[in-house]
Order: sequence, then C-alpha cells, then structure tokens
Amino acid sequence: MELREDLRPFRRRTVVLFVFVFAALGLLHLRLADLQVVDGVEWRNLAENNRLRRLPLPGPRGWIYDRRGQVLAENIPTWEVLLFPNEADEVEATGVFLARISVSDISIFHQRLAERRIGRMAPLVVGENLSWEQVAAVRSHQSDYPELAVVSRFRRHYPYGELTAHVVGHLRPVSKSEVAADPRLEPDAIIGATGIEAAENAFIAGSSGERWVMASAVGRQLGVVSESEATPGHDLGLTLDIELQRVAAEAFGDQAGAVVALDPRSGAVRVLHSAPSFHPGVFGGRLSRSDWEGLLENPAHPLQNRCLQGMYPPGSTIKPFLALAGLEEGLIDPGETVFCNGSVVLHRHRFRCWRRGGHGFVNLEQALTESCDVYFYLLGQRLGIEKMASWLYRFGFGERTGLDPAFEAKGLIGTPEWSRQVRGTPWYPGEAVSVSIGQGPVLATVVQLARAYAMLANGGRPVRPYLVSPPRVSRPDPVVDPDHLALVDAALEGVVHGPRGTARSLDPIPMAGKTGTAQVVRLQEGVDSKDLAPQLRHHAWFAAWAPLYRPELVVAVIVEHGGDGGSTAGPIAGKVVEAFLRQRIQPGVETPPPPPNQPTSDASG
Amino acid sequence: MEHRVDPWLILAVIGILGASLTTLHTVSRVIGTNLLLRQLVWGVAGLITLWLLSRVRLDVFERLAPLLYGVGLIALVAVLLFGVARGGNRAWIAIGPLTIQPSEFVRLAVILMVAAWLADRRGDHLKTGEVFVAVLLVGIPVGLIILEPDLGVALTYLPILGGALWLGGLPRTAWIILIVLAVISSSAAWRYVLKPYQKDRVLTLLQPERDPFGAGYQVRQSKIAVGSGGISGQGLGRGSQSQLRFLPAQHTDFAFAVWAEATGFVGTTILLLAYALLFTRIAKVALTTDSRHGLILAALVGVWLVFQVVVSLGMVLGWLPTTGVTLPLFSYGGSSLISTCAALGIVQSVWRFRLVNQ
Repeated sequence: MELREDLRPFRRRTVVLFVFVFAALGLLHLRLADLQVVDGVEWRNLAENNRLRRLPLPGPRGWIYDRRGQVLAENIPTWEVLLFPNEADEVEATGVFLARISVSDISIFHQRLAERRIGRMAPLVVGENLSWEQVAAVRSHQSDYPELAVVSRFRRHYPYGELTAHVVGHLRPVSKSEVAADPRLEPDAIIGATGIEAAENAFIAGSSGERWVMASAVGRQLGVVSESEATPGHDLGLTLDIELQRVAAEAFGDQAGAVVALDPRSGAVRVLHSAPSFHPGVFGGRLSRSDWEGLLENPAHPLQNRCLQGMYPPGSTIKPFLALAGLEEGLIDPGETVFCNGSVVLHRHRFRCWRRGGHGFVNLEQALTESCDVYFYLLGQRLGIEKMASWLYRFGFGERTGLDPAFEAKGLIGTPEWSRQVRGTPWYPGEAVSVSIGQGPVLATVVQLARAYAMLANGGRPVRPYLVSPPRVSRPDPVVDPDHLALVDAALEGVVHGPRGTARSLDPIPMAGKTGTAQVVRLQEGVDSKDLAPQLRHHAWFAAWAPLYRPELVVAVIVEHGGDGGSTAGPIAGKVVEAFLRQRIQPGVETPPPPPNQPTSDASG
Repeated sequence: MEHRVDPWLILAVIGILGASLTTLHTVSRVIGTNLLLRQLVWGVAGLITLWLLSRVRLDVFERLAPLLYGVGLIALVAVLLFGVARGGNRAWIAIGPLTIQPSEFVRLAVILMVAAWLADRRGDHLKTGEVFVAVLLVGIPVGLIILEPDLGVALTYLPILGGALWLGGLPRTAWIILIVLAVISSSAAWRYVLKPYQKDRVLTLLQPERDPFGAGYQVRQSKIAVGSGGISGQGLGRGSQSQLRFLPAQHTDFAFAVWAEATGFVGTTILLLAYALLFTRIAKVALTTDSRHGLILAALVGVWLVFQVVVSLGMVLGWLPTTGVTLPLFSYGGSSLISTCAALGIVQSVWRFRLVNQ
C-alpha cells in the first residue's frame, strides 16, 4: 500500500527529529555508563563517607540584671558532647568510652538514647560541662567514635545562687508535648521553669538556628552546607536591689518566711526573698534528679515561693485598713474611746484581747499603736462583714497583685456569700469578729500586704508591684480621704516611736509600721505562744515604711512560727530599712560583688 | 481500521510504570508518606484514559482543538486568580480533595491546537504570518505559566513550538532570525526574569566547584547516588544516598537517581530501553499514518516527551541546571501521569485511524 506523496517532506522532517532523539538518548546512556560503570567505585566510596549532619544552634538567653546592673543570671561557655543517632551503629562501645572518661554514666547514656525523640534529625546531648581533658579525650578518639562531636555551648549561671533562686527562677528541659506543639523548639531546648526566667521566657529566650554540615567518615567536619543563625535573647533589667535582698536574707538566718520590699510611689519591687531558699542548679540551670527529690522532700518546702504563694492570716496588720474603713464610713470618731478590760462578749461568745489585763480607755490612735483587739472587735461589729470585705478589696486583698499572674496566690476574704458558695457551710456572725483582727476566714500573701502598706505610705493610691516594667496606666486616685490617712499614719508612727508602741524596741530606726501575729492554733487559757512546739507557734508579721516623710520603701515581713511580730519580724524589716537609708545617703557604696565561691560545674570530676 | 492498541507501546508504558512504582515504594519508607497506593491509582486511571482516548476518532480531536485550547487558557487565568500556592508557585487548583495542575493538561490542548492548525495549512513551508500565529499559539499559555511562576513547566512548552516550526517548514533565513531572537530573549531573561537562586544553578553547572555545599549540593548528591549504583546496583531500599536522605526531591525530580542507585547500570539501561521503545513506537505511528494531522500530532507528542526525558535525565546526571522538570511516567504526580497517558492515547487514535484518508 502506498502512502500519500504530499506528506513526504513532513516524513523526512520527522525522521530527522527522531534521529536527534536517539542521539540524545544514546548520549545519556554513555553518561550513565561513565558514572556507573567507569567511576562507580569512586562514587560509592563518596556515598559511604557522606555524612550530613544537622547541628541545632541554641540562641543564647539574655542576661538578667538588678537595678544597678549587678548580674543575676548570665551565660558561661561550656563544652557539650553530641551524638548523631543515625550514624551510631555500636552504641555499646560509645557508652563505655564516655563512662571511661567520666562524661556520662552508662545507665544515663542508655536512658538518654531511649528517650530520644526521633523525626527531627536532632543530635543527642550525651555529656555536659566537659573539662579540657575530656574535650581532648573525645577529640583524640574522634576516628573511633565518629558519631560524637564536641561543641561549644552556653550554660546558665546565677552568680547570687540561693539569694535569687525564687525571684529569678531556674530553667528546665522542654517537655515532649511542648516539642510536639511547637516545631521551632529543639528537642533538647531549655526554657524558664519559674520566676522571671519563666514569666519573661519569651523575651529572654533566643531563637535557635541550625547548621547543616558535611562530615567525613571519621567525623571530621568538611564544610557547611547551609546555616541559619541563632538569634540571642534580650537582656532584662529588674527593679530588684540585690544589696537589700542580701540584707533581708542574712537577717532571716535559718528561719522560714518571706520579705517583700517595694517602692510605694511606683510599685517597683526591691526585695523578694523567700526563706528557706535552694541552689538553682549547676547543670546549665537544670536541677539534677537527686537534688530535685531532696528539695521536694524537704519539710521546710524550700521550693515554695512564700512571697507569692504563701497565704497567711494577716492578723493585726489588717487593723489600719479597718480603721480607715470605719473613718470613711463615718462610723467612728477619732476622739471616741472604748474601754478594754481584756475581753468582750459578742454573739454569746467571749473574744479576748491579746493583753490579758486590758488596755483601759483607748481612742483610735491608741488602739492602733497598742494593737487593742477589743477596739477592733467593736469596730468590726459596726462595719459588718460586707463593708469590711468591700474596703479590704479596695486595698488589694483577695485579688492577685499581677506581679506573677501564673504563680501568685489570690488570698481570701471570707463573706457570707463565699461561705455559702465555696465553703458550703453557713456563715457565723462570730467569724466577722475574727476577721476584724485579721483571723478566721481572711488570708493574704506577703506581696498583697506590701502593696496595701504602699497605699498607706503613698497617700492612698493603688499601685501594681512590678519587677520588669511599670504598668502603663494613668495615675490612680487615692481611695481614702487624706485626713483619715494622716490619722492612721500617725498612729503607725507611734507603733515604733510611741512610748507604748508594740514595736518600740525599733525606735531609733526612722520608720512607721505595724506588728501582727497570725495564730496557727487557737490558744488555750493561760498558755503563752512561746511555750508551744515550734510548728504550732504563731506567725510573726511586720509591715513598715521609711522614711517617715515621703516614704520610698515599704517592707512586709513574715516569719513562720516566729511568735511575736514585734520581736522577730520587726528587726528583719528594721535591718532592710537601715540598709536602704544608708544606701540613700551613699548610693552604691554597699553594692556587693557576687560571692566568689559559688559552686560552678566547670570544676571537673 | 485497526482495532487493537499497539501492544509494544503498552508494554513500554507498563514497564516504566512498574519501575516507577517500585522506586516510589522504597521512597515512601524514607519520607514517611505512602506514595505507592496513590500513584497506583493514578497509573490505573492513566491506562484507562489512554484506552478511552484511543477509541476516539482522530477527526474529533481536530474539531475539538479550538474549544479545548480556549478552555485551557481560561483555566490558566483561573489558576492565577484562585490557585493554591505550593512552594511559591501558584500552579494548582483545588477541586474537592484533589489538587490538579492545569498547566500539565493545557500542554495537551496546545499540542492539539497547533497540530489542527498546522494540518489545515497548505504547502510545504510556512509563510511569515503563519510563523507569528504559531509563536502566539504557544506563547500565550507560556506567558500565563511564567506568571505563576512555574518556569519548569513553561520550559516543556518550548519543544511544541520548535517541533511545529520544524515540521511546518521554515526557510533557512527564518531559523537564523529565530536563533538570534532566542539569544536576545534568553539574555534578557537572565537579567530580568531569573531569580538569584536560578542563576546560581546555571552558574554552578558551568563551574561545579564554585559552591560544592550550596547550589551544587543537590546535583552532587544526585551524581553520587547514580554513580554509587555501579553496574548491578545496591539493591532496592538499600541505597545509602536515598535511604539517608542525602538526595532531595526523591519522589519527583530525582526519582530516577533513586532507581539508578538501587538497580545500577543494568536497571538504568532497561529503563532507557523502555523509553527508546516508547519513542520508536511513536515514530512508527508518525511515519506510517496517511493523515497530515495525525503525523503532526504524533510527532509533536513525541518531541515533547523526548524533550522532557532528556532535560530531566540531564539534570539528574549533572548536565543541565535543576529546573523542576519531571520524568514522564516515572516521577510522582497525578496530573503529569494522566496528561502523559492522554497524549499517548491520542497517538493511539492516530495509529488506529492511520489509513483513513482525510
């Protein structure tokens, strides 16, 4: 059969096209022969030596400073050993090697391997804080253990150690669920666990980068394939005054309790100390397991931040606020006197004054200076629980101060409504009598008390305590009449400087304040608090401000089971105030250098 | 009229698909997604498409060509307006659970259109005005695809224009003018269109030592993979380059390298022979048909497929810059597989109706 003649030129062109096609295919085949047959062995050697590694580059955390620039948290260079799990065939031998040079225990090594999170091509940290000798040992055995690499990284260090453990906080490794939730998080990343490290983690933490490198068969790095740089985190200056913090801690000795000091004008926190404290860890801020268990089992609960989380009955420190409530409501007259014979019967129950013999006739000023309970029982009756609660709220009790919203306790102001809804029992009128001297269903944190006393010291304006940056709000109005406040402030000056003041032993220190005693157990007739077992003794409070004219510092102190407020908590507040006043005259003179002999982990072995 | 589909062509297609599915199976384990099942479904759908289109009378393609071409242009505009972006290219349209890549199918419409138009010409050589028509017919869709921007796919449209001009017949002076124009436009593209990373790829090709860990990295890893396959290969699922993920884009652009590493020179020779068989059968169709339309259609499909195979392999073997051109019938991807099978179905229609004089 003949094909159409007129298509002949098209057929000719098609033939030419397909000649080129087969020429091209032939060339490709020659190229394949060249690559696979002629040079095949060379390429295979290259493939076997090909090691592509991904090195996470952690972004260094920002440093933390106190108000004068003293370093509270810093980064110290350190050596770590990484293991690339997809290159490791014989991990047994590697584990033995690391144990021999004391980098890692064999059991810990295998535990780390078992816990490793796959899927991100991330190397495993198998040893931290290497000494120079250990670095040299790993490097000299590099060809035996090519899956290991020594890298330089940073370790967190807290120069003041225990002194700032609660306020600055410490670090922890991220959890598996956090890694799963955030793809940018490296499996071995470290983040803030508590304190400022946790609250400001997003600001302090850097963002990590990564580097892809080619390594030779013996683990030597040949070149960088690609790299994205790590971004360092931001430095952070706190309002904290490390000098005052240390004075407070030293004054505490081995007692348990807390001190909060702040500037009543702004709310800037100067001291935030919880005793007992703990050492925030030496392994880059990570606590070792045994240290951790020891801290958890310690009966003194050193991990608890008593400034923010401890809730205590405020005791007599609540009295100035109820006095202001009475004055504001027009229910009491400053000149009016009440006779205290040591007790009063209310709601068919006898309520005692702390002074068994009674105070005799007392007016408002005397009642505050000498802390007469009977006066306040009767004041409480006039106010009623609803008005007391509403005024206590205005001074910031019963709500978080906002210093650390995640960790802070709220405190408590008991009311009939609270009793019904939360406690599930009826409200007894006698409970209101207890509340009027700060006992019964009323609890406050130390920060709350410091904030409330700041309002007494700054003319009655609410402040929000802060460590990092002041809240951006307009200047709030005073919540009380300045004349009323002046009366109460004068009475609190009398507590320290008056002849019958409950803290007159602190007289030389130019401050005003109020003692308080919070009952742990109800006292039996004729038993003195000092005779009780230590864990049953009262908590001792003292809240003060200084100087007397235009106060610049408010201090709130609680000593757990300290007994009498004037004799244990008062002197601690006094020492902080004295140090502060000295600082005011000669600023900077007492700024302490970091303690020289903090345990650092780069001491090997 | 012949009833059977060409068995040799089917043998070549099934052989290539088999190698592809084997490769994708080993790749699935590495990248953690089961590609095998999906590509198997696409493969079956492709073979059905091939058979269905081989049943269609050749003249139907000629009459439908303008309509399909118009629909294709609308689809390309639609993708620019409503498309889904993947890796910087707005080239996909989501239809229910599927995302399809219209530019893969529009190429077929362009081939049909150019063939129908060319078959309608008289004489052995193209006139000047006709050359411009041919340039416009291919140039408009290419312009739309460059806007996506998907240079790799746009590149695969060029052999259609080249093939049409060659088959249509151009005087020697016209070729010279075209070559000059191509040089000018490519140097303009170098300055204004290509992104720095694309220039990097070209420069690295000319000078491989320029940046062994940067732009040259992929090509280097690909060459190591192909070369280390040796004569008999490292075995399926055993190649260290692919299993340890040194090799990028293992299921698409560099799928051939995975096959080469696993099966060696023996496997790559078999695969190349399968492609050679495929092109031989297409050539046979073009050379034995009695229809001007059928001849041009088969030749254009052939030119396009050959171009894509050569560019894709040239890239894997380190001769051409990495452009994102996939290996027809072998790389993972439903749109590409279906459109290739459809083109082969049309070639089969030419085969069956080769003696029907139009």
